[in-house]
Amino acid sequence: MPSDIETTARENLSAALQPAADPHGIDADVALTDYGLTSLQKVLFLTRLCEDLAVDLAHLSERDVAEMRTLHDVVDTLSRYAGKAA
Amino acid sequence: MTDSVINRVVAGPPAPGHRISFLRLGSRRTLDLTELYEQSGRVAAYLRSLGVESGDRIGILAANSLEWVLLDLAALRLKAVVAGFEPGKFADTGELVARYGLKALFTDQDVAAGAPAAVRAFADVAEAAGRTWTELPEPVVYEPEEVTTIKFTSGSTGVPKGLGATVGSIDVSMRAVQEIFEHRGGDNLFVFLPLSLLQQRYWVYSALCFGHDATVTTYEAAFATLATARPTVVMGVPAFFEAARQQISQDAARADGVTPDAARRAAARRLFGDRIRYLWTGSAPADREVLRYLTDAGLPVYEGYGLNETCIVSKNHPGAHKEGSAGRVLPGKQVLFDEDGVILVRSEHPVNRRYEFAEPGDSERMFVADGVVRTGDLGYVDEDGFLFIQGRADDVIVLGNGKKVIVRPIEEHMRTSPAIEECVVFCPAQTSLVAVVSPSSDTPDLKAIAEQLARTNASFGRDEQIRKVVVASPRPSIANGMLTSQFKPKRQAIFAAFQAEITNNQDGIHAQ
Repeated sequence: MPSDIETTARENLSAALQPAADPHGIDADVALTDYGLTSLQKVLFLTRLCEDLAVDLAHLSERDVAEMRTLHDVVDTLSRYAGKAA
Repeated sequence: MTDSVINRVVAGPPAPGHRISFLRLGSRRTLDLTELYEQSGRVAAYLRSLGVESGDRIGILAANSLEWVLLDLAALRLKAVVAGFEPGKFADTGELVARYGLKALFTDQDVAAGAPAAVRAFADVAEAAGRTWTELPEPVVYEPEEVTTIKFTSGSTGVPKGLGATVGSIDVSMRAVQEIFEHRGGDNLFVFLPLSLLQQRYWVYSALCFGHDATVTTYEAAFATLATARPTVVMGVPAFFEAARQQISQDAARADGVTPDAARRAAARRLFGDRIRYLWTGSAPADREVLRYLTDAGLPVYEGYGLNETCIVSKNHPGAHKEGSAGRVLPGKQVLFDEDGVILVRSEHPVNRRYEFAEPGDSERMFVADGVVRTGDLGYVDEDGFLFIQGRADDVIVLGNGKKVIVRPIEEHMRTSPAIEECVVFCPAQTSLVAVVSPSSDTPDLKAIAEQLARTNASFGRDEQIRKVVVASPRPSIANGMLTSQFKPKRQAIFAAFQAEITNNQDGIHAQ
């Protein structure tokens, strides 16, 4: 059973892809770049996802963003900050 | 008062009241421009303590930051020449020191144990900026022919060519831009492209000279920091604005209870903040649909034209704008054409007359007599004085009958269909054109593509007719090697992948 964070992440990633993909069909261990996500689109995806999860982007550095290579990485990283104040 | 922007920047502190912010994910630093100027004087004293003198060259290999700007201004105040290296494109610090004869190379990356003594960490710059120095630099005055920086061409292969940029060329470009955009007190110019590109440093010089705010961030942090920075001007590139259009479109689609137009405008404000006066795009041709979409969303985008070797040649702006054009030619520049229609640019103050670092013959190929630059681009100037770029001279197909066909306008016309994401035109037998089309979805709308083929053929001349369309399957992507990292088609890879369909007479959608 996916967590709420993973469900929200899947929905946001689905919307960020061109064309949109089935949120449930996204392989969490496949590199985001393999889904055609550019570095700019990745930041946009993370920005909107953080808003939806009420995670302050100030928690993240450019290195954190660079190291989130898969949906799995994204969920793991943001799970650490969900519910925390900046 | 001198009318040289660079001489005004180095003459003394700017008027107080305007600020510069440095934003990264997770950090923000804001200081008054007077404080920036003061710190740059301390860094200049530090550079001098390292033995850096007028005419020496220093290198900067780092992401955008306060230290980057301080080093650049400090070098200006000493008449030292800055060579900016973009991380990712350059790496080996020892090789850079040797190849470019650097007195010092500053980097925000880890300094390897075996690196030359000339390689220094950014932490040293930050420390120097906060230290008290007894001897600060005396004001300097530049002549127009003096060089302040080395520009590197962003070629995709080989060692980048290096070109010294003269003060006169910087002054002419910045004065022309100021005349048409009138950057002023309430403005905040948003810079996220690498400061190793000289033009991105223009906006810091502009803030110091003309009195406005500036925000400096990184490519990675740009979208995350835009709304809070609340800029009035964003300096971008087509890929950035394409990503923005996609996000605005997604956000607008989620909105309930408002008209599509209101939803789009609200989504644009959510992404870019609520103060945008205009967006600047350059460096590569922008998709007209993207420009139109953003303009309709309340974010007017102005496209221009220029190369490293010419600086800014033409620019659309609020006072003179024509869709599809690269704007009118700026004061101090003259556009000429050779017998093949290739654009030549003559400048009142050329960026330079030859490369400082390049292979033998490179300078002669690019620079004609008197510093005139042969751009390699095809174009024309219309009756109202607007410059239109039609493509690279290399993209011209010569048919068997000797007629020359410029494929870019045909490809752009095909892409106006929502069913077509990308289009590349080939001429396999030198007699007729074949287009490879990447459909907008995995389930191609063949009827819509056929209708667009008919519309495009109706819009072009006899020698520019597309005989048939090959619908690409699989669609070109970065993963399959048919698109660049900037989502631009790789012609040779696409031809190789669909060669059989392109060259046979059976497959594809045929023109009626």
